[in-house]
Amino acid sequence: MARLALRRARAEARAAERVMGDVETLRSARRAYLLAAVLGAASLPMVLLYLLLVLSSFADTIVTGPDILEARYSLDNWLMFFRGEVAPAAGRLYTTADILATIANTAIVALGVTAVVVFTSVLAGYAFSRMRFRWRRGLMTFIILLHAFPGVALIIAVYAMYVWSSMPLARSEGAMVAYAFAFTVLARASLELPMSIWLMKGFFDRIPWEVEWSALIDGASRLRAWWQIVLPQVKPGIAALAIFAFLAGWEDLIYVHVFLYIGTAGKVKTLATLIEELTANIETSYLPVVAAAGTLYLLPTILFFVLTQKLLLEAYSGGLKA
Amino acid sequence: MRPRVNPALFFLLPALTLIAVFYVVPLALSIYIGFTPLRNWNIAGGYLSQVTLENYERLFHMVMYDPDIGKVVATTVVFTVVTLAVNVLGGLALALTMYLMDLSGRELSLGFRTLWMLPRMTPIAVYSLMWYYFFLPGEEGILNSIAMRLGLIDEPVNWGNDPDLLPYGAWAILVVVNGLVGVSFGMVVFYAALRSIPREQIVAARVDGASTLHLVLYILIPQLRWHITYVTVWQLLSLLTTYAHIFLLVEWGAVDEFWGSNWALYVFNKAFALGESDQGLAAAAATILVLIGAGLGVLALRLMGFGRMMAEPRGEV
Repeated sequence: MARLALRRARAEARAAERVMGDVETLRSARRAYLLAAVLGAASLPMVLLYLLLVLSSFADTIVTGPDILEARYSLDNWLMFFRGEVAPAAGRLYTTADILATIANTAIVALGVTAVVVFTSVLAGYAFSRMRFRWRRGLMTFIILLHAFPGVALIIAVYAMYVWSSMPLARSEGAMVAYAFAFTVLARASLELPMSIWLMKGFFDRIPWEVEWSALIDGASRLRAWWQIVLPQVKPGIAALAIFAFLAGWEDLIYVHVFLYIGTAGKVKTLATLIEELTANIETSYLPVVAAAGTLYLLPTILFFVLTQKLLLEAYSGGLKA
Repeated sequence: MRPRVNPALFFLLPALTLIAVFYVVPLALSIYIGFTPLRNWNIAGGYLSQVTLENYERLFHMVMYDPDIGKVVATTVVFTVVTLAVNVLGGLALALTMYLMDLSGRELSLGFRTLWMLPRMTPIAVYSLMWYYFFLPGEEGILNSIAMRLGLIDEPVNWGNDPDLLPYGAWAILVVVNGLVGVSFGMVVFYAALRSIPREQIVAARVDGASTLHLVLYILIPQLRWHITYVTVWQLLSLLTTYAHIFLLVEWGAVDEFWGSNWALYVFNKAFALGESDQGLAAAAATILVLIGAGLGVLALRLMGFGRMMAEPRGEV
């Protein structure tokens, strides 16, 4: 009987949908394509901006649009970049090792940020979603306020802490560099924490509580229930979080500029500070090679975008709705 | 048997440690540094034990009489207000266009939504580089090249520095560069909100003969009121404190040093200048920013009733 009623309800819902589907919510499909065309035209300058950067990295000059067919294209800039000939006019050359180290440094920061953000916010998000403790509300308000906090006020004091705490390491260059990396990763990851904790809390909130509850009733510890029952269900959420964190660590400029570049007196470069340095010396820099560096730096971002666009958009709006 | 220590502490400890070390301690320290004459990062030099109000006096004096700081203050106000308008209205326009496109039953908007997220995710150095090429003063600048080809200008223009164009040239560059990054936030929030409006309402309006314009003005936008407040407040807070996307444009000389700097960037450059740097003054200036931000933040929480988002947890045995 119950099943019959259910089937009837479903059939009615389908029928209702058919009726509603007959009403044109947008007057015509043609109008939808018209809107798409308008939006496409509005987006064109932005696409052009990215396209010209990529084209310039293969050209003998900065491609500006009208001269798109006049420029000569080759792989020269990329070869020069990987050979370290990034500022040929000044005769100031890097070595191949420098360039590879620069790319590796960028990856180390991004992966480090990912690891720290995922580890801390998956734990904290679970606590905020599932556990009752004193100061819970207060802490959550506090954390969301932190997100709106002026980063520039923090970075002065954080750098002062860095200068002070790295004093004993000044003798050993290796220790100094390692410490600078650790500090960069932790400080940059902390910046992502408020948003990530809220994002993770949102993912945990969506998981039905009953399964976990029965595990707890059966005597599983909180930690075990979390690890074996809940975590497997939020895997897509963790993946989204990891991608966000990686991109945040990868795109960063200010923290690698301050802690890795200034903090080690220019010894440790990332792609961001390399581009910064090359472009700053406008007389000596050869912009098409800088464009190659920029395109390489852009590559992982685009890659993640094409592969995970739906996941990213969902996570972004899901985290906001929380 | 209840454990003596709340297990929540275990889950929260890593996050709370980071928050304590990288938010709470620095905040207190930053306020303190604002009362000391610390300069050139000379932490061991004894500056930190001298407490003084001098930084605030100097700051007050500079705001009143130093024309360069006057430029920074004016830039901060104009940049924040105009970019905010661009972000909220632009985000609304994008979300509405995409929503209406999808109403036809085809998911046309996914590609566009991703595309408009791109500036936010692009490495800041690359993003700055693209705009640097775009506004380059010589003939090789993209904007100059296109405008000259179209016959709009006879010789290349120095968009961010030409005294005839200042301050508007520099301001326009700041607004364009940051507006494009910020617009995706409103777009995503508004689009998600629009999608959650029951389809029956749209159908009912259509049956009653509403045009698309009426649909937008009387059905869709009124339901976005809360989201518009949310996005406005949130964007206001982030625009007040943003500086990363302007930083390189100023360093590379694409915009005038003062007409192109907002308060946050001025603070940053004061603290991290390669030659003579002044952390005491910078920290004091940052503290003022913190106070303004905190005031607006509290106001925002009141306005939006965050209580709704903090429902009690379900996970208690």
